[in-house]
Amino acid sequence: MSTLNIGGSQLDASWFLLLSAVLFGLGAIGVLVRRNPLVILISIELMLNAANLTLVAFARQLENIEGQLFALMSMTVAAAEAVVGLAILVDIFRVRDAEDIDDLSELRG
Amino acid sequence: MAIAVFFIAAAVAILGGVGVVSFHQPIRSVLSLVLVMLALSVIFLLLGAQFVFAVQIIVYAGAVMVLFLFVIALLGPARELGRGRLRYQGWASAVFVLVLLGLMWTMLQGVQYRQPDKTDLNFFGTVQSIAVGLFTTYLYPFELTSILLLVAAIGAIYLSRKRIDESEGGPAEGLRPSAGVGGNLPPHQT
Repeated sequence: MSTLNIGGSQLDASWFLLLSAVLFGLGAIGVLVRRNPLVILISIELMLNAANLTLVAFARQLENIEGQLFALMSMTVAAAEAVVGLAILVDIFRVRDAEDIDDLSELRG
Repeated sequence: MAIAVFFIAAAVAILGGVGVVSFHQPIRSVLSLVLVMLALSVIFLLLGAQFVFAVQIIVYAGAVMVLFLFVIALLGPARELGRGRLRYQGWASAVFVLVLLGLMWTMLQGVQYRQPDKTDLNFFGTVQSIAVGLFTTYLYPFELTSILLLVAAIGAIYLSRKRIDESEGGPAEGLRPSAGVGGNLPPHQT
């Protein structure tokens, strides 16, 4: 257990990690359960945000700036991923209606 | 005070996450995700990450989410069909995620925190300290992210370009000389 002194009150570092784990789990549920490819992308963004929270929490616990720098890098990667994913999605929707991601299983994999 | 702020922000974030998963219209999922991101930005501020807080609001809740909203507006209101093709997908994924959460919980119990570095917490997380890290030690990865963004931009332009019509073999509609400014415009009538 490691307590952080934030504004005079004691918060435990594991609270932040637990919140991050719950948000990551919710994102994983979204990816597994939802059928709309757009909502799957949104759930992936949720998981990336949860990972960012872990990075920033450890940066604060270790009092080391590198975790925040890595969180910024991961935000960049998330933005690039969203741009390319949405472009692919728009391209697919132009040809056919893909409200269910299972409609796109052409290769029978 | 900080404890109350943390629990309120955490409750908002978890509610937003549940909303992302459970709303049936994609636009409501996106707005729930904006809620999650705003709550997380408050928590970043609690953790002393001022610059990450600003970037989270401006870039994430601003730019990326507007991109999602734009695509949803472009594609029209698509409602999701209720049932999947696999029969026990909901239960199987619930079990999978519970196992994942249990794994993370058990790992949290045994985590060994390193002794924190002795840094000045008034300087920690400011724009200045972030810049010192980004432009000295991590200059090379920072420059590589610019290449990553360039590749993503080119890829997005390539994927969403106007298709050349293969059946005609000619240039696409927008590329014909008649459509341009210098084409054969109708005579100006006065």
